Amino acid sequence: MDGKSLDREAASAARVAALESLLIDKGVITSETVDTVLTWFERDMGPFNGAKLVAKAWRDPAYKERVLNDLPAALAELGIPRGSTGAEGEHMKVVENTPEVHNLIVCTLCSCYPWPLLGLPPYWYKDPTFRARGIREPRAVLREFGLHIPETTEVRVWDSSAQIRWMVLPRRPPGSENLSEAELAALVTPEAMIGVAEVVVPA
Amino acid sequence: MLTRFEHYATTSMLGSIDAPPRRNGELLFAQAWESRAFALAIALSKAGHFEWEDFRQQLIAAIGEWEAAGHPPEAWNYYERWLEALERVLGETDLAALVRGDGA
Repeated sequence: MDGKSLDREAASAARVAALESLLIDKGVITSETVDTVLTWFERDMGPFNGAKLVAKAWRDPAYKERVLNDLPAALAELGIPRGSTGAEGEHMKVVENTPEVHNLIVCTLCSCYPWPLLGLPPYWYKDPTFRARGIREPRAVLREFGLHIPETTEVRVWDSSAQIRWMVLPRRPPGSENLSEAELAALVTPEAMIGVAEVVVPA
Repeated sequence: MLTRFEHYATTSMLGSIDAPPRRNGELLFAQAWESRAFALAIALSKAGHFEWEDFRQQLIAAIGEWEAAGHPPEAWNYYERWLEALERVLGETDLAALVRGDGA
């Protein structure tokens, strides 16, 4: 960054700070307002809930059965309030990646994306090209994401709709045997729950 | 479905010129002031001081003006335009006098 942009950065930071403290002084907002919004984005908009679900399913086979066969019950057990998943929880299905089958989720409408579980969709997810190519040549698309699926593994593509939204239960990564549920959840990305990435344990 | 204002506000921008930068799907803030400017706009619109769509139009206009002014691409900063849009939209609200510093 050159000197000029550093000056502009500092000026912008000062303007934001001045605006925020003015609004607090005048009682328009409180000193907590900004942090409350940011916390909500960090905690509830992220892939936190979906990642928790995946981590619990990896460690608890009986829970995994409920995730695959009775998702509303599995969500309720995680303490995800019904209102926050709404229709999506009830019209959602989870498909499991195994050595034999790799699942990929596509969808063009943002409204089909199970955001309470996965956070906001990545920008490319709504791209019509991604959906069209995902259906036509999923292996090529996955290769472009850096994911090489062996020829012996079947690739299944699920098209989310207003009726059913899909989510992938990724495979538990090797080397994760001793990790806690929270540590496992931290490894699970939105990409892994769409099926364009695998979960990896950082080296 | 229960939609939170925060969710509506950010998804309404997806795929558009005014969409906030992201990394790995998550909002990307290079500096702390950027996240505070982001949250201020959302909180003030949520509280009813301006319509989110009006803010977006100011943001799209601010981005358009910056692009038309022929700045070098490396000088681009999304949240500088965001802040400009926030100050402009506030200038048209019940908080206008207050943010100008005269009265209230």
